[in-house]
Amino acid sequence: MKNTLRQIFHSPKFMTGFVIFVVILLTLFFYPLFNPGNPLEMIGVGTFAKPGTYVSLYDALNTSRETLRLSDADDNRLAKQLKAEDRVAMLEWFNAMGIAVDFDISDTDALLKLWDDNYDPATKPKGMTMAKRNYYKRLNNALLQLKAADEIVLADVNAETKALEETGKVNKTDYVNVGQVANVKLLPLGTDNFGRDVLKELVSATGTSIIIGLIAGAVATIIGLTFGLLAGYLGGIADDLIMFITNVFTVIPGFVLLILISYSIGQDQRGASVVALVIGLTSWTWTARSVRSQVISLRNRDHVNLSKLSGHSLFRIIMTDILPYIASYVVMAFILQVSSGILSEAQLSLLGLGPKTTEVPTLGLMMNWAMLYSAHTNGSWWAYFPVILTITLISFSLNLMNTGLDQVFNPTLRD
Amino acid sequence: MAKTMLEVNNLTTKYVTRFHEDVYAVDHVSLKIEEGKSLGIAGESGCGKSTLALSLMGYYFAPLHYMSGEIIIDGKNISGMDPDTVRKNVLGTEIAYIPQAAMNALNPTIRISKFVEDVIRAHDPKADKKTIQEMAKARFAELGLPVEALNRHAVELSGGMKQRVVIAISTILNPKVLIADEPSSALDVTSQKMVIKMLRDMMEKGYIKAMIFITHELPLLYNVTDDIMVMYAGQIVERGSANEMVFDPIHPYSRGLINSILVPEEGTRTNKLTAIPGTPPNLKKPPQGCRFAERCKYATLQCRVNAMPMIDFDGNRSYRCGHSVEHLREVYGHEE
Amino acid sequence: MKGYRKYFGKKILWFVITLVVAVILNFTLPRLMPADPVAAITGKMAQGMTDASAVQEIYKRYEEEFGTNKPMLEQFFIFVKNMLKGDLGTSFSQYPRKVSDIISSAIWWTVALQLPAIIVGWLLGNLLGALAAYIRKGFDKVLLPLSLFLSNVPAFGMAVVMLVLFAVKFKIAPIGGGYAFDMIPNFSWNFVKSVITHYQLPFWSIVMVSIGGQAIGMRSMSIYELNADYVKYARFLGIKDRKIVGYVFRNAMLPQVTGLALSIGTMIGGALVAEIIFSYPGLGSTMYTAVTAADYPLISATTLIITFMVLIVTLLLDIVYGFIDPRVKAAQFD
Repeated sequence: MKNTLRQIFHSPKFMTGFVIFVVILLTLFFYPLFNPGNPLEMIGVGTFAKPGTYVSLYDALNTSRETLRLSDADDNRLAKQLKAEDRVAMLEWFNAMGIAVDFDISDTDALLKLWDDNYDPATKPKGMTMAKRNYYKRLNNALLQLKAADEIVLADVNAETKALEETGKVNKTDYVNVGQVANVKLLPLGTDNFGRDVLKELVSATGTSIIIGLIAGAVATIIGLTFGLLAGYLGGIADDLIMFITNVFTVIPGFVLLILISYSIGQDQRGASVVALVIGLTSWTWTARSVRSQVISLRNRDHVNLSKLSGHSLFRIIMTDILPYIASYVVMAFILQVSSGILSEAQLSLLGLGPKTTEVPTLGLMMNWAMLYSAHTNGSWWAYFPVILTITLISFSLNLMNTGLDQVFNPTLRD
Repeated sequence: MAKTMLEVNNLTTKYVTRFHEDVYAVDHVSLKIEEGKSLGIAGESGCGKSTLALSLMGYYFAPLHYMSGEIIIDGKNISGMDPDTVRKNVLGTEIAYIPQAAMNALNPTIRISKFVEDVIRAHDPKADKKTIQEMAKARFAELGLPVEALNRHAVELSGGMKQRVVIAISTILNPKVLIADEPSSALDVTSQKMVIKMLRDMMEKGYIKAMIFITHELPLLYNVTDDIMVMYAGQIVERGSANEMVFDPIHPYSRGLINSILVPEEGTRTNKLTAIPGTPPNLKKPPQGCRFAERCKYATLQCRVNAMPMIDFDGNRSYRCGHSVEHLREVYGHEE
Repeated sequence: MKGYRKYFGKKILWFVITLVVAVILNFTLPRLMPADPVAAITGKMAQGMTDASAVQEIYKRYEEEFGTNKPMLEQFFIFVKNMLKGDLGTSFSQYPRKVSDIISSAIWWTVALQLPAIIVGWLLGNLLGALAAYIRKGFDKVLLPLSLFLSNVPAFGMAVVMLVLFAVKFKIAPIGGGYAFDMIPNFSWNFVKSVITHYQLPFWSIVMVSIGGQAIGMRSMSIYELNADYVKYARFLGIKDRKIVGYVFRNAMLPQVTGLALSIGTMIGGALVAEIIFSYPGLGSTMYTAVTAADYPLISATTLIITFMVLIVTLLLDIVYGFIDPRVKAAQFD
């Protein structure tokens, strides 16, 4: 036993999978300690806020300022404000005017210089519509303003006169220390379509999905194990009957049953644990098959026969003479069931048949929401990519562990 | 004096395990077989006899590696040849092999005739299909095998039939030396007899010129081969004629082997039936002195320290032991 | 020949039995549930209606349409009779379109997409697996973890990643659908071209997903076969390594056919979900719209037709396998 454990923990495949999985579990455990609260709380009003650090503008204005004279501040400001489509439009204008652009349009300095030197609102490039010409005028004005204004005036409504009164100014050279701003929110993965913190949601969803996987895996393994043991050990009619059921359900695709049952249960009844149960109920067949074939090879071993002759009960023979010999196998089957359970939940949710949406997020639901709100076509990668990556990593780590175990317990597969 | 068909001098090969450890399963083995003779090799499982069988082929692939020594077949030294020459000009034509588990020795998904074709084409790429088929049919008929077997897949043949088909295929190119590794061990008694008869017939009819027969059942060899060698922990420990080895084993290990097995021969019945205690040494770290010392009840301190050479005695016999032949015979005499 | 007949007879019998069980399940499962589907549908249809008798009227109409007012057994026979006639009921969400009509237009998209994709994925996967087993060192070290990782990317994940990369980012493929949205299906060259361009992404995403799993299976099968006794024996008979590798891969590949038969259900399940991502006009998307619109007859019919397809493919694979692997014939003699 000790030796087997040592072998398992020396298997690089098993260890890689194990480490990935443990890191995921630790994250699930520790992250909520740093960022507590309801993962489904909608903190954002808009949809799909980009990942990053959000600084409260209101608080920033009321934070004591320092003056910093940074030489590249103007350039940075311009570079950030000048959007990619504006740059392309400027290039189009140059082209229309027949002016050669021999630099990359991401070079803000060169672009603006060329623009200042050449742009004249009065010119009418050939074939350019009025609307387009006006666009260039607006763009030019915005650029001028950006360069000209040195300060922004802050005003407030006077309580008595109801008139706007200047209360302060913000200079281009004013800076505040982020650490002193009262409200700074870090959203490493932005927000989703409902304005929820994606990372917080992801951590919670991963936890739920793993639990769904565990329940589904446990249910499938228990049913498969029981059927496999009975069919393999008893043989005869019991075997025929169980194998008949197993064969039928092997060929009928599990996900079809899953869809039918899930749909029949109805949205309101479908909690995460019900979904997990249904997944388990539809995926036990191959565990039953493989346990059965293992048991058949064990059935006539000497120690089993000896136990039979000693008059031990069926339960005792199975528990002491058969189960320990197939335990490694059952563990491997369980691991695979967990991984496929997580995947099944995700697929069900994508079809709109996942757990009801109001209680807990799951990886499948997050994926479903992201797709419903077209995160994939509007560039909000943070809403779906981390979900795909998490599912892949969980399933990858579980499968690696399984392969590692397989190599320890099945020497023919050894490299 | 008869022609020497196979001569092996100080052959050493090693296994490399999955954990990159070297196992010297064949350690400085020398032997010689003359034309028309057969040699039996006996030993417990794990003594290196199967590895010796593989090593004698002169064709090495992982995890088996050639270290040193020479193999001379009918005057031709094959140990220095490049592998592809060995494959084309030696395997199957000079020396052939019958595997331990003939049950799985045939590719399950092709017909026997196709496999025969592949074997012959491997040595003569231009051989034409019809000639090969005729030749195979003729050979099967001569050996008393049903010709229909050629049209079957291996899975459709019974165990005994499979083994005889394997023997027929191995010898189809009339190799000079045949190495049979436990060809009959997995078979029932009837099939076992048929296989042994077949091998003998082939020697008599001259399809093969010399044979090495490897088995863990030493007494079986008495009926099959002219000479017998006993192997222990990668080394030869005793060699003599079949008669001498069964009725007058000198090395304590050979004696142990005879005594531990029920022998249906006259004169052996009075012997006490005893098992050899202990297990063979770990060949990753072979013992410094006599390799059998750990399990030998006659072992002295010197046995454990000094490496033992092979010593000739009684004309054509040899053994590897620290005690003199006279001493051993005397000790054995007292025991009975 | 007797062996074959027994084998195929057994396989066909199984096909019929499982089909019957599948039909029964398809019929009973939704009816076993405590909720009354007709009531639920009526509720949806009658939203905003205040007139109780009008609601009652709707309920009656649907009861008639489904035949839920008849005894269970009678309902089943009507269901089977209609099914045999090819009548799978009327769709709710696309009323008054016949379900069989919707399905017959979707099914060819799915078949044309998934069958080639799974076959190509299977072939490529086996090739890579065989290479990994043969070359081992180095190649194996890179390919195996990569295959393992790839095989764990869910089909829909692969679909989304490929869609974002090739359609949104590089704009070298259309973003979804089976053909350009402004076209009407016809046999013009332009339409065919549009279909082909829309075909690429879904096709390759299914291929990519199936490669990994197949490669891993093939690799371990090949390693197992490379260590088989017949390989050693063939080598000692002087047969060339290239020829032996041929033996090994053929023998390793044959069980992969059965492996495909066993996993085809799961694979098609994943691929159907991938269809949704690409809004491919196949059964996956049909099922999705049916689920979102609570179109019960359509869901029931799609699951039935998918089961039927999986059963047929499994049966065909079993029959092909029986012909190409002599071990099957031998096993039947036992």
